[in-house]
Amino acid sequence: MKKALILPVLLAMAPPALAGDTSPGALIEAYSAQSGSAPVPENGKALFLGKHVGGKPDTPSCATCHTNDPRKGGQARTGKPIDPMAPSVNPKRFTDTRFVEKWFRRNCNSVLGRECSAQEKADIIAWLSSL
Amino acid sequence: MMNQSQILAPDARAARHQVWDVFLRLFHWSLAASVTVALVTGFLLDASWVRLHLGAGILAVILVMARIVWGFAGPAYARFEQFLPRPGALRAYLREHLAGAPRRRHVGHNPLGALMVVALLLAVLGLGATGLAYLGGGLKTGPLATILPATQTGFWSETHEALAAIILGLIVLHLGGVIHESRRCGENLARAMVTGCKEARSGDLVAPHRPARPILAAAVVLALLASGGAAVVALSGRPLQDPPVAAAEFPAVYADECAACHMAYHPALRSASSWQALMARLDDHFGEDASLPDETGAEITAWLTANSAETVDNRPASLWRDLSPLPVVALPDTPQWQELHENVDPALFKRRAVYSRSNCAACHRDAESGWFSPFAISIPKENTQ
Ligand code: HEC
Ligand code: HEC
Ligand code: HEC
Repeated sequence: MKKALILPVLLAMAPPALAGDTSPGALIEAYSAQSGSAPVPENGKALFLGKHVGGKPDTPSCATCHTNDPRKGGQARTGKPIDPMAPSVNPKRFTDTRFVEKWFRRNCNSVLGRECSAQEKADIIAWLSSL
Repeated sequence: MMNQSQILAPDARAARHQVWDVFLRLFHWSLAASVTVALVTGFLLDASWVRLHLGAGILAVILVMARIVWGFAGPAYARFEQFLPRPGALRAYLREHLAGAPRRRHVGHNPLGALMVVALLLAVLGLGATGLAYLGGGLKTGPLATILPATQTGFWSETHEALAAIILGLIVLHLGGVIHESRRCGENLARAMVTGCKEARSGDLVAPHRPARPILAAAVVLALLASGGAAVVALSGRPLQDPPVAAAEFPAVYADECAACHMAYHPALRSASSWQALMARLDDHFGEDASLPDETGAEITAWLTANSAETVDNRPASLWRDLSPLPVVALPDTPQWQELHENVDPALFKRRAVYSRSNCAACHRDAESGWFSPFAISIPKENTQ
């Protein structure tokens, strides 16, 4: 019931996205409401750390740029540093819906060659939030 | 005792010629030092030494200017009229020299040595002029910045380099000539350039006395320096035409969307058509998906086009202006970039703080300004993090 309420609110807010319009918890709830099942952090971990073949050859894994330890800073292939992904060390993570959506779309496409499902997004955020 | 030295003194003086006056000797060794510094910094060291290179070059040109004035106002052996050979005299000297040894010794410059002096002075002036042109056209600094277009950079830098190679050759010949002459005449010519004196011998070709006019010479040199300096300051102060858009004026959308994965590349690094080709394929962007909503993409494309290489007169813009738009390549994959960086140790690009050759801003502090001045290069140290 609660989840069903949050998703429309979230989507309504998405277009004129403001930084700080959401939180990791709200996103997990919204994405799992969309997929219809509970998030599985272990699956998120496997997806994030695993090597994939469907995407672009230079980016086989999320860890290519975000490193194997999301509590540490990563580095893009261009040399630019990337701030840590775990919200426990970087509270700015997963607080802007449009930003999160943009990067899931791009990065899943680069690594997997397709977009991530709502279930996968919920799994990943749940795992990152547990660190 | 007293008497003895009084008797000896005139004899000793008579046995020696005072050939090179003190200004001329100072000039000679300062020029040797400044040209050496300029050659070493120019040929052997990287662009971060450019300040020392410029300082040495400017000093050399000022010295030569003063020497030219001294060539009209100095004492006998410093004067051009004394040593500039006429073609006939040069031919006669060469003939004598090839036949055996010239019978008579030139106390000042012999005709071949004189030619060398003129060639060296001209080469330094040429190096100064082409250096200034390179600085103006290429680096948009100095008095010629608003006069010469950046597209001429290649011409001026190549001419400057060719002259530097020529002066290096002249110096080798000059040293060879000095050693050869010293052996032949049994006197140390290099030491004569330190002490100023040569021993007198019978049959020497001596120059008729000419009074030096040091005050007049100093006044002329000062006047030249002051007017030259004023002209340089006035010209250097003129505002540049078509400078690259300042990084502070980049629109927020560009910084947000195009500086997330890498530095904000300056729009003047590519032509309008190259930007349009790149923006049309953001979903396949150097091996990554950088796609954007259409209207955001259009906004960025319009801004990049309005500030592209064609609209800017500086060196990086002129280097990559004619890059063919397709395929979309990174600048490090172009021959221009590879030529500029051929002396940069490839291992530097693998350092963690650099990581990618396209991470220009890691080494070029002014990369986001679009200038890439050799004054602003600092290679990051290997970090231990
Ligand atoms: C090519 C390098 C690269 C790869 C591979 C990559 N990312 Fe990213 N990711 C980035 C960059 C760059 C950003 C944006 C900069 C930032 O947020 O610090 C980012 C941001 C994100 C964000 C936004 C987080 C926030 O702040 O809200 C998410 C989510 C994300 N990435 C998930 C992933 C996932 C999942 C994968 C694997 C499928 C992945 N990334 C693979 C480079 C990469
Ligand atoms: C998802 C990450 C990402 C985003 C977003 C992104 N780029 Fe890139 N871009 C790259 C990568 C990776 C490279 C390859 C450079 C390297 O290997 O270091 C690159 C290279 C480039 C280059 C070539 C650099 C060179 O050396 O010549 C240009 C120009 C460029 N990007 C422009 C843009 C523009 C304009 C945008 C905004 C519309 C943009 N990029 C957004 C990842 C990105
Ligand atoms: C590892 C550090 C490093 C990186 C990264 C780097 N450069 Fe350079 N670059 C140098 C050095 C060092 C020189 C001077 C080379 C010399 O004088 O032999 C130089 C010279 C240049 C020059 C000529 C400057 C001048 O007028 O003398 C240009 C232009 C330039 N780089 C552009 C770029 C661009 C564009 C990029 C990114 C696509 C880039 N560089 C990346 C180190 C770097």
